[in-house]
Amino acid sequence: MNVLLFGPELYFLGAALIFFSLTLKRKVQVKADYRIALALAAGGVAVSVLCLFQQGELFFKAYKVDLFSQIFKFALALGFFLVITISHNLAQIEERYHAEFYLFLTTTTIGMMMLVSAVELLTIYVALELSSYSLYILVPLRRGDGIDVEAGIKYLFIGAVSSGFMLFGLSYIFGATHSTYLTEIMPKMAQLVQSPIGVLGLLFSLAGFFFKLSVFPFHFWAPDVYQGAANQVTTFIATASKAAAVAVLLRLVALGSSYGYNFTQVLVMLSIISMTLGNLVAIVQKDFKRMLAYSSIAHAGVFLMGVLTIKEAGYIGAVYYALAYLVMNFTVFMVLSEVAKDGRDLKIVELAGLWKRSPILGLSLILGIFALAGVPPSIGFTGKLLIFTSAMNQGYFWLVLIGAVNGTISLYYYLRVVYAAFFMDPGDLPPVTVSFPTRLLNYALVAIIIGFGVFPDQIVRLAQAAVKTVL
Amino acid sequence: MTEHPTSFPYLTCMLLSPVVGLTILLFLKEEWDFLIKAVSLVSAGLSLALAIFTFVAYDKTLGGLQFVEKYEWVKTFGITYFVGVEGLNAPLLLLTGIVIFTGVLTMWELKNRVKEYFIFMLALVTGVFGVFMTYDMFFFFLFYEIAVVPMYILILIWGSTRKEYAAMKLTLYLMAGSGLIIPGILLLYSTSGLFTFNMVLLHGVKFSPWIQKVAFVMMFFGFGVLAAVWPFHTWSPVGHVAAPTAVSMLHAGVLMKLGSFAILRVAMYLCPEGFVYWKQLMAFLATAGIVYGVFVGLAQTDLKYVIGYSSVSHMGIVCLGLATGTVDGLNGSLFQMFAHGIMTALFFSAVGYIYDRTHTRDIHELGGLSKIMPVASAFFITAALCGAGVPGMASFWAELLVFIAAVKVYPVQGLLAIAALVVGALFALRVVQTSFFNEPNPKFMHFEDVSPFLGLPRMILIGTLIFFGFFPQVMVSLIKTAVVPFIQGM
Repeated sequence: MNVLLFGPELYFLGAALIFFSLTLKRKVQVKADYRIALALAAGGVAVSVLCLFQQGELFFKAYKVDLFSQIFKFALALGFFLVITISHNLAQIEERYHAEFYLFLTTTTIGMMMLVSAVELLTIYVALELSSYSLYILVPLRRGDGIDVEAGIKYLFIGAVSSGFMLFGLSYIFGATHSTYLTEIMPKMAQLVQSPIGVLGLLFSLAGFFFKLSVFPFHFWAPDVYQGAANQVTTFIATASKAAAVAVLLRLVALGSSYGYNFTQVLVMLSIISMTLGNLVAIVQKDFKRMLAYSSIAHAGVFLMGVLTIKEAGYIGAVYYALAYLVMNFTVFMVLSEVAKDGRDLKIVELAGLWKRSPILGLSLILGIFALAGVPPSIGFTGKLLIFTSAMNQGYFWLVLIGAVNGTISLYYYLRVVYAAFFMDPGDLPPVTVSFPTRLLNYALVAIIIGFGVFPDQIVRLAQAAVKTVL
Repeated sequence: MTEHPTSFPYLTCMLLSPVVGLTILLFLKEEWDFLIKAVSLVSAGLSLALAIFTFVAYDKTLGGLQFVEKYEWVKTFGITYFVGVEGLNAPLLLLTGIVIFTGVLTMWELKNRVKEYFIFMLALVTGVFGVFMTYDMFFFFLFYEIAVVPMYILILIWGSTRKEYAAMKLTLYLMAGSGLIIPGILLLYSTSGLFTFNMVLLHGVKFSPWIQKVAFVMMFFGFGVLAAVWPFHTWSPVGHVAAPTAVSMLHAGVLMKLGSFAILRVAMYLCPEGFVYWKQLMAFLATAGIVYGVFVGLAQTDLKYVIGYSSVSHMGIVCLGLATGTVDGLNGSLFQMFAHGIMTALFFSAVGYIYDRTHTRDIHELGGLSKIMPVASAFFITAALCGAGVPGMASFWAELLVFIAAVKVYPVQGLLAIAALVVGALFALRVVQTSFFNEPNPKFMHFEDVSPFLGLPRMILIGTLIFFGFFPQVMVSLIKTAVVPFIQGM
């Protein structure tokens, strides 16, 4: 067996062991631990790049390594690295738990990496649970005034319920096809999707990923968890976790490709409800993270729009948008955690006068927000347009119209952030100092958001090569 | 349409000039405001020079699409970087160049957050140039949005009078328009069977009448919001009043033309049958806009509101010209886009100067301003005369062409529009009389008149209006090279 095939996973497993040994130390050395974490995370990105073009199958064909999975592993490693870069100041997590924070962040990353490669139902389930359980621990890790516990419990319960649905659905699929391998299920699905058992089975199986992506009706956790968890944990949930969920959704939904009118109709409804609900409720939010939580529900609808086309163009759009979403959402969260240095929950009005308090963060914020709103020139605009295009190609005229109208609605609350940051008087809010590495990170993110938004061709081609193996 | 490739990327340079300027600005310090303004002026000047060059160097005998640059951008989705110049967009590129150049000069006295102001303004102008020159729907829409969104910040920070309300209203209106445009554009894209955003290729596709009707009406209303088509104009006077001087200039002068140009370029060009189906409605809405703008304008006492409503009525003339679907009508309509752009820029520029000194725009309070600031007043009066359609000014010819065509095709609407315009002339004179030739307001006695340097941008605008007023043939012969094949292709 070629070790590189399992390279990123092995690397992160090793990293997890190192972090585990750090948790055993009696004396807490926050600074030293952070340096180790940063170095390991950077190494993780390097390893995932190195393994980008690996191909093969592992573990009795339950595990498939192809460009699709490797791109998402790269995205996960990148997400992990980015979250670590803003973790230099884990104000809301007790110092003696810092090593645990790194450890569980690593294990959840491993879980997600396995998830994007898994092509066998049980493997998918186990990988999903591995990533979820780590997050169940990470969410309430915040120094608490009760809100963390509420968030943790909500996340656990809704996660458990969605896992239950998922197992139920998987059992239907297994019962009807007598196999747990996607490659064997695929040909039998054509017939199965036309019967209720197939549609229900497939829909329920998706529940676990709807939960992660916060698609209606599994979205209830999002606002509370976003607000209740430490900023860094929220960042990870809002970026890397979404990318992984999109990846598996793409794999599973491909099962319904052959016929499945009812199946896609349900997805269309979920997409519309998620978009509209998320955008409308986001308007009234005052807490920045809660607003972003509802924005993520709305974005789940957009992802679903790309997924439900079950065609190459839509899948390319979804992959592109997943990568774009990771970068742009991270940019916004980075600004959030830099402004809220003590780890508090940031009200939108607390961004007041950011252009004066820190021009560079103001620039990143406005670009990140505009990218989320789908305003050009940004990856968010290009990604959204690719998804809309593919949906229209499949004849979903109304869906695209509703999506476009939702874009207008969403602009209202995104602009309120811009309003606060660029117009409101800072009053006695202190200036925000930005360290040199963070400054570099800002420039890099800005360059990526604009650069790949205007020149999307390379990413699109990569995505095109990747989705060929899924469909 | 024949395409003539270029040996040197003039258009890309025109487009990138503000981008480069903007990038340099990012790295300049806030305190160096002379340098910031100088960089903005140079990058705007470069775009203007290139716009003049393409306007003059366009070969009228050769016709077709010239200075063409074409690169495959995203092959999978059929996106091409495709820019070119023809008779339809050459005047508008020139207009944009003139307005941004004079706009930077007009804002020379700006003190507040200078760097950011010019960054956003150059971003906006990049979008405008892009829309006018591109022949790919993806880029068209991309530039369209780039031109629209910075407006929110520009009005919010540097504006006046109810700016928060105006900025949000304007942005939401225009974005709601985009919400109609995207499905419209994509509908054409996916039903064409070519899966390309290239407009010239899509023009060759015969879309089914049903698709054309749906796509046309969506794009007409979507772009129409920006062109202030009645009844979707309400954002425009409010926005113009709230915006800072140069932004009003750009917005009324150039941005609203994006809307009408897009109706011509995308909606009418790609959906001719849709146009035929909906053109009665277009003519009706246009006439309603002309009449409504004139009469509501009559009641205003704020100079900027007066101009705002006159813009609604003048843009109505543009749409009426488009709705005729004849060579004369389109000629006049495009000429009117140009003339009205320059004229409104002059209007706002003049009012901006007066407002910066007196801090009022109330026509009664201003009183006899021409005795205190004869030159500044003269700028405004010239613009007002131009707006009233006095011969010797560019808009006279433009309006004449539109009305000749309109009376032929839609006699009732055409006559109504002419009648409204006569009333409009009356009200322009009333405004001029009250604000400039009454008793001077003693409060303003100590103000200086326009200095030669600050007068320069206004002089450029007046010069342009008069030049094309005396030599309309320069413009009309160029526009005609594109309009005639355009009508034949419909």
